[in-house]
Amino acid sequence: MGEIETFESALQAFASTARVTSDADILRNYAVDGLLPLFVVTPTTTKQAAHVVALANQYGLSLLARGGGSRISVGNLPERIDVLLETNRLTHVLEHEAPDLTCHVEAGLTLAALQAKLAKKGQWLALDPADAAQSTVGGILASNASGPKRLRYGSARDLVIGLHVIQANGEVTRSGGRVVKNVAGYDLNKLYIGSLGTLGIIADANFKLHPLPIAERTLLLTFTNAGDSMQMVIALLGSLLVPSALELVDPAAASDMNDFFGVNLPTNRYTLAIDFEGATATIDRQVDETRQLARKYGVLMVDDLAGESQDHFWEAVREHTQGTVTCKVAILVSQVAIYLQIVEQVCHRHDLEAAVVAHAGNGILFVELRPSDATYRLVEAIAELRLHAKEARGSLVVERCPVDLKRRISVWGEPGSDFYLMQRLKNQFDPNGTFVKGRFVGGL
Amino acid sequence: MSITALTPTTSPLFERISESKKEEVVRDLSALLGAKYVLHTFYDLMLYEYDASIDRCTPDIVVLPASTEDVAAIVKIAVHHNIPVVPRGAGTGLSGGAIPIYGGIVIVFTRMNRILEVDYDNLRAVVQPGLVNLYLTNALNPQGFYYVPDPSSQRSCTIGGNVGENAGGPHTLIYGVTTNHVLGLEIVTSEGEIVQVGGLAQDTPGYDLTGLLIGSEGTLCIVTKIITRIVHLPEAVKTMVAVFDTMDDASNTVSEIIATGVIPAAIEMMDQMILQAVEADSHAGYPQDAAAVLLMETEGLREGVTEQVEQIVAICDKHHARAVRIAANEAERQLFWAGRKNAFGAVGRISPEFYVQDGVVPRTRLPYVLRRVGEICTSYGLRVGNVFHAGDGNLHPLILFDSQIPGEVERVRKAGHEILAVCAEVGGTITGEHGVGIEKQEEMALIFNEVDLQVMQQVRQAWNPHQLFNPGKLFPMPGRCADVKQL
Ligand SMILES: Cc1cc2nc3c(=O)[nH]c(=O)nc-3n(C[C@H](O)[C@H](O)[C@H](O)COP(=O)(O)OP(=O)(O)OC[C@H]3O[C@@H](n4cnc5c(N)ncnc54)[C@H](O)[C@@H]3O)c2cc1C
Repeated sequence: MGEIETFESALQAFASTARVTSDADILRNYAVDGLLPLFVVTPTTTKQAAHVVALANQYGLSLLARGGGSRISVGNLPERIDVLLETNRLTHVLEHEAPDLTCHVEAGLTLAALQAKLAKKGQWLALDPADAAQSTVGGILASNASGPKRLRYGSARDLVIGLHVIQANGEVTRSGGRVVKNVAGYDLNKLYIGSLGTLGIIADANFKLHPLPIAERTLLLTFTNAGDSMQMVIALLGSLLVPSALELVDPAAASDMNDFFGVNLPTNRYTLAIDFEGATATIDRQVDETRQLARKYGVLMVDDLAGESQDHFWEAVREHTQGTVTCKVAILVSQVAIYLQIVEQVCHRHDLEAAVVAHAGNGILFVELRPSDATYRLVEAIAELRLHAKEARGSLVVERCPVDLKRRISVWGEPGSDFYLMQRLKNQFDPNGTFVKGRFVGGL
Repeated sequence: MSITALTPTTSPLFERISESKKEEVVRDLSALLGAKYVLHTFYDLMLYEYDASIDRCTPDIVVLPASTEDVAAIVKIAVHHNIPVVPRGAGTGLSGGAIPIYGGIVIVFTRMNRILEVDYDNLRAVVQPGLVNLYLTNALNPQGFYYVPDPSSQRSCTIGGNVGENAGGPHTLIYGVTTNHVLGLEIVTSEGEIVQVGGLAQDTPGYDLTGLLIGSEGTLCIVTKIITRIVHLPEAVKTMVAVFDTMDDASNTVSEIIATGVIPAAIEMMDQMILQAVEADSHAGYPQDAAAVLLMETEGLREGVTEQVEQIVAICDKHHARAVRIAANEAERQLFWAGRKNAFGAVGRISPEFYVQDGVVPRTRLPYVLRRVGEICTSYGLRVGNVFHAGDGNLHPLILFDSQIPGEVERVRKAGHEILAVCAEVGGTITGEHGVGIEKQEEMALIFNEVDLQVMQQVRQAWNPHQLFNPGKLFPMPGRCADVKQL
């Protein structure tokens, strides 16, 4: 018997309750950038999952974890996938210590399911990435997904207080803990978050929680150009006001959102959406002051959202960060307006179109480029846009794109001077290359 | 094998260097920095043999670099001679992080203390590690901004040391600790290479090395530049002192405040022993006969603050607060805080020495754990006072002792260990902000098993394979020279 067959029988013998599939028809649903795994294993306990990893390590196979699959194609093309470890049956809420504002949950639970559970006690996990219904806690952490409200609450690194991680040799280790403050040993949580499964498989996580806001309101401000709206953003950030989200929607993105989500944004203007949360009195005051401030920056129109239309609007914003070809650009806030002009020029030169939504207060832009099949023009445009992002002291990552384009670009860009230190970490954590290679920065 | 074997713990990692070797190294370092910035005489070195913990050990050489390039060159000299290097900020650390337990070179950052850049549009500051924490806030205040993490030692501790320990402070309850406010670093590696990690913008692709390095206690790299967030000063601040007749009432108040989600900017607790010490020292007006007081602060927009104060007062009342006093003006507010921030110093007046613990527990377990702390200290015949970040569940029992009394130090260590064991047992941790250093090396085993620790060793192996930087810290390892400070 070959390695693979022995692995399979070892797996079958062990994992009687885990589902193991090598059926070609089923495997097709699990393709990553067109690449099929040899097996899909769906364990029901962390112990089983750890055993699968240990076996893969022992047989020299390469393993990739998959949650809900919503971000499985983030990253460069994987080199080889032997085992796909599906976590979506690890769905226990192990603890919700509501009076401590913390919880402990397994990695395969979807964010939506978790939020529903926490909401019963008036709390939530302050992460709002796109696709909460499909995304699992593990997938969100591994890809460091976030959403508009990171302006107020930060991202996963600010909310995770503990993790259990399956190491490459199958051992399950703990980092952090269940208390909100902890400096015992190295802060490995930070290392695992955003590491895309290259260092370990997240089995469960402890989070710091927040109370659900008492009230929430969104102002939609319309500006003639990006410059005015970004002046407004900078003024707000440097003011006393504390918006929870500041999202800039460019005309093209506005028009998409109107078409696909039935919202009603002006399509020849820039829309700045400002979300306020808290007690009604503080919201009212902030709304008033925002209106006044906006006049200074030449606002054309102000609209006010609450309740369902507000939820729907933010849902549309989040989903719009996931176009077929989407670049995530992270730069300084003061550079956003100029960068938007650059996007326009670059697209014009390469006969492409762009639609942009930006977490304007964080300096993070999601630039969707079209048409998605103009591979060669896209390759050039992305290279230019990346160069400009670098000049603005930031980065450009192609978060989504067709495989054909992916073959011709590096989605992460050239690694920085600290890359050799990342390589050393990877070698320490995964010396046998058990976790799928190729997807992460520099091919890690 | 994927897991690096633990270093054998029998023989010391480094021998103390010989006089002749020391002369050679001093020569090399003096050629680099100028003789003035290389200290090596007995008297000069004495100042650097301790920090604010209870251990001490004399370095062989202390250097004061002026630039990142200096630091890199110093490290290369140390590599060449195979001498350990320990970075040191202000030496206010409470776990022995800056103590060179194998001697060697201590790098002090007093000459690298500048604010390099403040960018108000982007809410960023770039600073050198030797900058004193409070000086950054003082520099930003006139423009209406500040740097959030505010350790009680902020008048003297450095931002480099804060990064070293991932320092917190009273106001980190809602705003987070150092790691939540630092976006990037410039570092010197254990090979003497200068590397940038993270950056001014967010979400740098790749592993979050910034996050990993913050709190690494000088054992992975030397930090030479720090990119921080800066934040607008709040419009309104209200500071309250609630007085309780029992510790349980005070801790239940904390639990309920957190549970209702009305989270103020700070909730600090002081017990009777601390109150008496503080009052003798700074006359802040704290009652002497109360079992405990909570010092609380809410800040933000005027409307929000007013509402929060009402909610908090109601919760205090519900838990039988004897009185709740709201600071009438800024002067009174400063007085309340001076009492808290000088509490350690005040205790120094009533006891020759004290030993601070730093365990964290789930906030709902505060009443139980505080009771246990009292019982444990009583059982060892030791006096204890509690002054701590109650809102985070971050305890600071101060165990009073006198090292002249035979056996007392040993009993203090044992009591400290038992307290941390209780913290671990209720699901907490052994240190919330002071770090492991030398003091809590053994206690790491209370919360992490062998395999957890091995993974951390792998990290050190990747960054500092020969333990050139701050050797013999963080992980259990006997065979060191440090001894307990005799005051
Ligand atoms: C009265 C008092 C109150 C305190 N209150 C608090 C509090 O509220 N919150 C809190 O968190 N702490 C508190 N502390 C502890 C202490 O002040 C903090 O840990 C502080 O961050 C230490 O800063 P330092 O500059 O003194 O660093 P040091 O003690 O000199 O060093 C601390 C650690 O950082 C490392 N280090 C220093 N500089 C660098 C560098 N450039 N690169 C890499 N590593 C470096 C050292 O090697 C060491 O391991 C208090 C201490 C005292 C004495």
